[in-house]
Amino acid sequence: MGKAFDWIYSRFGIKESHKGLLKRTIPGNVNYSYCLGGMAFIFYCTLLISGMLLSSYYIPSEKEAFQSVVRIMRVANLGLLIRAIHKWTANLLMLSILLHTLRVFANKAYRPPRELNWIAGAFTLVLSFASGFTGYLLPWDQKAYWATVVGTNMIATIPLIGNSLLLLVRGGPEVTGFTLVRFYSLHVIWFPLLMNLLLWAHFHMIRKQGISGGL
Amino acid sequence: MESGDRGDKRLYPDYMSEILIVIFFSLGLVVLLSLLFPPPLGREISFFSAYQPAPEWYFLWLYQLVRYFSGQWAFIGNIIVPLSSLALLLSIPFIDHGTKVSRNMAIAAFALLFGSFLVLTLFPLIRI
Repeated sequence: MGKAFDWIYSRFGIKESHKGLLKRTIPGNVNYSYCLGGMAFIFYCTLLISGMLLSSYYIPSEKEAFQSVVRIMRVANLGLLIRAIHKWTANLLMLSILLHTLRVFANKAYRPPRELNWIAGAFTLVLSFASGFTGYLLPWDQKAYWATVVGTNMIATIPLIGNSLLLLVRGGPEVTGFTLVRFYSLHVIWFPLLMNLLLWAHFHMIRKQGISGGL
Repeated sequence: MESGDRGDKRLYPDYMSEILIVIFFSLGLVVLLSLLFPPPLGREISFFSAYQPAPEWYFLWLYQLVRYFSGQWAFIGNIIVPLSSLALLLSIPFIDHGTKVSRNMAIAAFALLFGSFLVLTLFPLIRI
């Protein structure tokens, strides 16, 4: 490697631990359905990048949210495309996770010692649902607003604590700008951070346990 | 990548080209769909017009549950059913403990989950 790399490497020392990542063995009998999890990860990375780009134009406030999305679509360079990429990738992520779950189940890849990884995977699915739900409100348009009203109303059906939980989620009795900021925070900070942790655990266990040999 | 051949291969270089091709086509698919069908923005919020909320396709099952369970049953459909579905999904590795019978039970549990998801997603699409 070049001098610049050697200089960084002598201080950072990360090459050895990554050699194992590239050289690790994979069962010879895997087929293309084993790509679904990897595809989900590609889509997740695409969501992170397109989301970061969108966040530099989007304004999470009751008065400006809708107009800022209009600006993203009409004025911002490539804004229409980047928003479309974010939205389409979210749908494809959902689809690929569901198919990945189907593949893992069919191959019995949840059996010991992979039970905990199945659980980690199930929680990434839950988190994806939650991200989809919170992200849906952000354009602050008619269908998003009412979908969120109906969706959050479900919480109020819990006996005793339902109404307090609803206040917590909405930031008030109704879906307002407070709800928007709360959902924005969850969508861009809390959920991606949690997702990164979960995915790290997911991949760590795959590395430790290897890829299931299949049927 | 033939099935039946259990000879192990390494991620690099044996699978690298295939992985790169999958990445290329996944991203290609995203860009193609985005260019062909950019998602529209809905109307601005109006509190005066009645509106039927439209969720994403992956939440249709939940909205269907909300429709089926109303009034005093709402708590069952809105909270109990989704949470017990999650509990069932999480318990699949523990239902199947290696025997044929337990694997069949796991298949039944998974089929119930996946089947209800599919049916409840398709019903609103064909308006049942």
